[in-house]
Amino acid sequence: MSKYAMVIDINKCSGCYNCTLACKDEHCGHDYPGYSASQPMTGHFWMRLIERERGKYPKVKVAYTPIPCMQCSDAACIKAATDGAVYRREDGIVIIDPVKAKGQKQIVSACPYRAIYWNEELQLPQKCTFCAHLLDEGWKEPRCVELCPTGAIMFGDMEDKNSQVARTFASGEILHPEYELKDSVVYLNLPKKFIAGTLAYSDTDECAGNVLVTLSSVSQQQTAMTDNFGDFDFEGLADNIEYTVTIEAQGYKTRILKTKTITDVYLGVIKLAR
Amino acid sequence: MSGKAEKTFIKGTGFGAMGINSHMAAVDVKDGKIVRIRPFHYDWKYQPQDFQPWKIEARGKVFRPPLKSIVSPFGLSYKKSIYSPNRILYPLKRSDWDPDGERNPQNRGKSKYVRISWDEALEIIIKEIKRIINTYGSFSIFAQADGHGETKVVHGPHGCHLRLLDLLGGCTLQIRNPDSWEGWYWGAKHVWGGEPFGLMPNPTNLYADIAWHTDMLLCWGCDPTTTTRGFGSGDMVSKWSYWCSDLGIKQIYICPDLNYSAAVHADKWIPVLPNTDAALQLAIAYQWISTGTYDKEYIATHTLGFEKFADYVLGHEDGIPKTPKWASAKTGVPSRIIKALAKLWASKRTTIMHGLGGPYIRGAYSHEPARLEVYLLAMQGLGKPGVHSFAVINRAVFGSEDHPAYPPSPGSIVNNPGPTVRAAYRGYSPFPFISLPKQFIPKTMVHDAILNGSFTIYGSSLQSTPANEQFIKYQYPAKDCQPIHMIWTCTPCLMTCWNDSNKIADAYRHPSIEFFMAQHPWLENDCLFADLILPVNTKFEEEDIADDTESMTFETIFFEERCIEPLGESKSDYEIVCMIAQKLGLLEAYTEGKSVSEWIKHGFDTCGVPAKGLITWDDFREKGYYVIPSDLNYENHPAGMYDFYKDPEKNPLTTPSGKLEFESAALALHFPGDKERPPVAHWVEKSDLHDERVSSKRALKYPLLCQSNHPRHRVHAQLDDLSWLREIPACKIKGPDGYLYEPVWIHTDEAAKRGIRNGDIVKVFNERGGVLCGAYVTERIMHGVAYVDHGARYDPIVPGELDRGGAINTITPHNITSKNAAGMATSGFLVEVEKTDLDELRRQYPAAFKRPSSPAGLCLDRVIE
Repeated sequence: MSKYAMVIDINKCSGCYNCTLACKDEHCGHDYPGYSASQPMTGHFWMRLIERERGKYPKVKVAYTPIPCMQCSDAACIKAATDGAVYRREDGIVIIDPVKAKGQKQIVSACPYRAIYWNEELQLPQKCTFCAHLLDEGWKEPRCVELCPTGAIMFGDMEDKNSQVARTFASGEILHPEYELKDSVVYLNLPKKFIAGTLAYSDTDECAGNVLVTLSSVSQQQTAMTDNFGDFDFEGLADNIEYTVTIEAQGYKTRILKTKTITDVYLGVIKLAR
Repeated sequence: MSGKAEKTFIKGTGFGAMGINSHMAAVDVKDGKIVRIRPFHYDWKYQPQDFQPWKIEARGKVFRPPLKSIVSPFGLSYKKSIYSPNRILYPLKRSDWDPDGERNPQNRGKSKYVRISWDEALEIIIKEIKRIINTYGSFSIFAQADGHGETKVVHGPHGCHLRLLDLLGGCTLQIRNPDSWEGWYWGAKHVWGGEPFGLMPNPTNLYADIAWHTDMLLCWGCDPTTTTRGFGSGDMVSKWSYWCSDLGIKQIYICPDLNYSAAVHADKWIPVLPNTDAALQLAIAYQWISTGTYDKEYIATHTLGFEKFADYVLGHEDGIPKTPKWASAKTGVPSRIIKALAKLWASKRTTIMHGLGGPYIRGAYSHEPARLEVYLLAMQGLGKPGVHSFAVINRAVFGSEDHPAYPPSPGSIVNNPGPTVRAAYRGYSPFPFISLPKQFIPKTMVHDAILNGSFTIYGSSLQSTPANEQFIKYQYPAKDCQPIHMIWTCTPCLMTCWNDSNKIADAYRHPSIEFFMAQHPWLENDCLFADLILPVNTKFEEEDIADDTESMTFETIFFEERCIEPLGESKSDYEIVCMIAQKLGLLEAYTEGKSVSEWIKHGFDTCGVPAKGLITWDDFREKGYYVIPSDLNYENHPAGMYDFYKDPEKNPLTTPSGKLEFESAALALHFPGDKERPPVAHWVEKSDLHDERVSSKRALKYPLLCQSNHPRHRVHAQLDDLSWLREIPACKIKGPDGYLYEPVWIHTDEAAKRGIRNGDIVKVFNERGGVLCGAYVTERIMHGVAYVDHGARYDPIVPGELDRGGAINTITPHNITSKNAAGMATSGFLVEVEKTDLDELRRQYPAAFKRPSSPAGLCLDRVIE
């Protein structure tokens, strides 16, 4: 028996929205009895793409996170449903029965990922099915995966040990592990927090390249050298940690700055004085 | 229903038009409706070894094309376009236009429409064409026939009427300027030749050569991976950019905005004020000359006129050394960053990457940054492996006459055009250049031609003419020709994509235009000014043939079967012109005696593939497509300007001297006193034609520099109505009135200064008018800049003054690129942005605010009486 899973590599997502659109192409205006009723023409995002700006001008990054139904083993929606309206197939796909679930609005609010949408017209909770109606007809992957131009969304059978998904799943992260839902969708390279800054020499109007910058917290320490533009960037930091940034340029006064990763931090242009 | 389709068709879903397709898709149809649009798998009916998939190997890594097409977001949403609530499904006549009485030209843009029959429509058209020709001569018919659109071959779409108008004695042709690469055409051509477009000569094999040799990519002045989404190589460019990162190639984006490519591919963003790149380039040259960090031997052997340039840079000519400090004040780039960039560039093999469009190449005097780029590349040994100017859109713009930048296929490589079904193409294409008609009007001068009645220019501005055509003087009206009195358009997009289009609105309402006829699938933009509108169907409703030579995967020819019946009473552009030709007794001459099926077969017979014995017609019809095998020896083709680099004497350029000309001999000869485009490229602060710098007095009132890119979520004027894309938060901004407004990007601090919050509805304005937008308050844009993409659908509140749809080009500069260059300057112009009172506007203009709209935007009902 197959066991379907998905691995999404954030570092390869170019934000093209093909995944969202492929889902709409497949599901808007199309009923798949036993799997799903037609998705409303607008307003639902069974494969939602979140676009989030990080940092401050001019050190800005954009993180795209595609969010489908996580097809959880401990799915909250299954528990919230009555009459067995939501169930998990043996292959791991969680299905909201489009007949039995009618009127069960509580299913929508049960999902902490907000991956379930309410169809006002049909009075029906709805969500991603991994395109189960296609997989059951022999398709190898859901529409969003087939349409991803960069290969950021990987899909496959965990039972097939050679599949890309089976090989990479273990190194993936769950988007919200605190929900404890045993997701079947995991992520590679999920954005954390960064602390960045730009160094310049105040006496020469030059970028301070090749300068040692040390980042330290209570539990760890790491170093980096600034690049030709005097930039440094510590990526992948945890939330809400206090850090000390120490800048040591030969012949210049050492600078010590304190910050906290409540958000991504750009310390701006730091002028070094003799 | 089950997921199974009754039948699967192949369609090209590129929006480049001109008969050059891309983005092949498999289209599943069931019960007469399109079920899904999905990637086309090249190995559907062939084995991969049949078409020899290419690969690029570099630095221990391999890049392979996928065995399926990459469908664009636009192709995926095509259903929304086909079944749009804004589709024109039957002929429409402007209700207060009476060809036998009062024509009310002043009401164009305001009038409503009534449905008429095809018979009535044809009767009016025949009568008007005959009347205009009898009264003024055939050259008084102005044909707008160019530009992007759906990509069809036999069915057009643009310019099917030209062959008929030729049979009637000829017409005045609208000339499409090099709108997305103005600077290259008007400037760079005079440095490196690069005929006919002005981009780097011979862009062969660049994807591979960059992977092998380049250390650093400077992605300058545009959003390259966005440009290619609607046509050309699509998201393959993004896939390739990721691969470059894997290879360790640094990507530095130099642009006012952290655009969509920069957002995911940039290692470093260097913000620069719109259209000030020339100052930045001069300061880089200053650094190199001052420190001697440039290739002096190359300059001596490959170039002419460097000393004059160096004199100017060092300030010997005008007393102003072009130092980083000097440039910093103009560009907003800190001088230390300019110095660091110059130093890094001099030490790394660097290629400059472009996607055309954007703030760099379509502003006032855009020939200057383009020329300066070539100068800088020359100073670092242009043509050396890894040192190029690389436009990722090469194939998209240049079709199969030009050279592919990625591993090519036999039959299309280097000097051999094809495979192409162009012989079956019934529309208009400026490529290759053959001749100019007796009378023409550049797109940039349509308002002047109509409102002033005459103009004089140098150079036609036609995209495909050689450099020396830029020195020919033209008059309008031409000798023995009358001015225009009728417009026949199938490409109604001046309002949303060309210069100072509020003046276009005035021109369309001018009494000298007695009859304005449009044929188009959707009621949009210039159609709103037409007296008669004919319904055009989409390509899914017709049978056709196509080639895909742009997609950066595999070159393919394919048969496009009809997927669904035409909607309403719509017909293809070609069929519409056939109907008119028939009424004029010219059908046989117009069709050259061939049916649509015969034209399709003709396209196949002449495409080069059967001649090589690769596939027969019967086999082609049975399989539906043929993939041309890749040329696995592509590595042997010299990349870029390598031949010139190796031996400039044996491999001269097409410039007068055969060398790279810092001082253009041709410009010095023809325009010696030109201050805007002097023989050696200069920084031009202002001139009689343009006053669009932050140093201007105008900047006191309009302090922000407005820029545009190729739009992320539509293709120029096309596809602004896809409800699925309009839901994307950054695509449109929902006003409190529920209307989806076009976003204007503005920096957090600039917004705060003006009391603007994210999502507020604001007015972007200058003396030329105002445009309502939704504020997108962001860190992704420089201070002092407003960013609105061109192409949003025109929805006039007051035609010619105030627009609600976000058509920013209504307020772009009127004048051409510079005195002797008839391009457009539609990016880098002064505006102010202020919060607007929607309630007050609604009270003032109730009719405009009551127009029915939907998630897809404007609906056809809004104009039906």
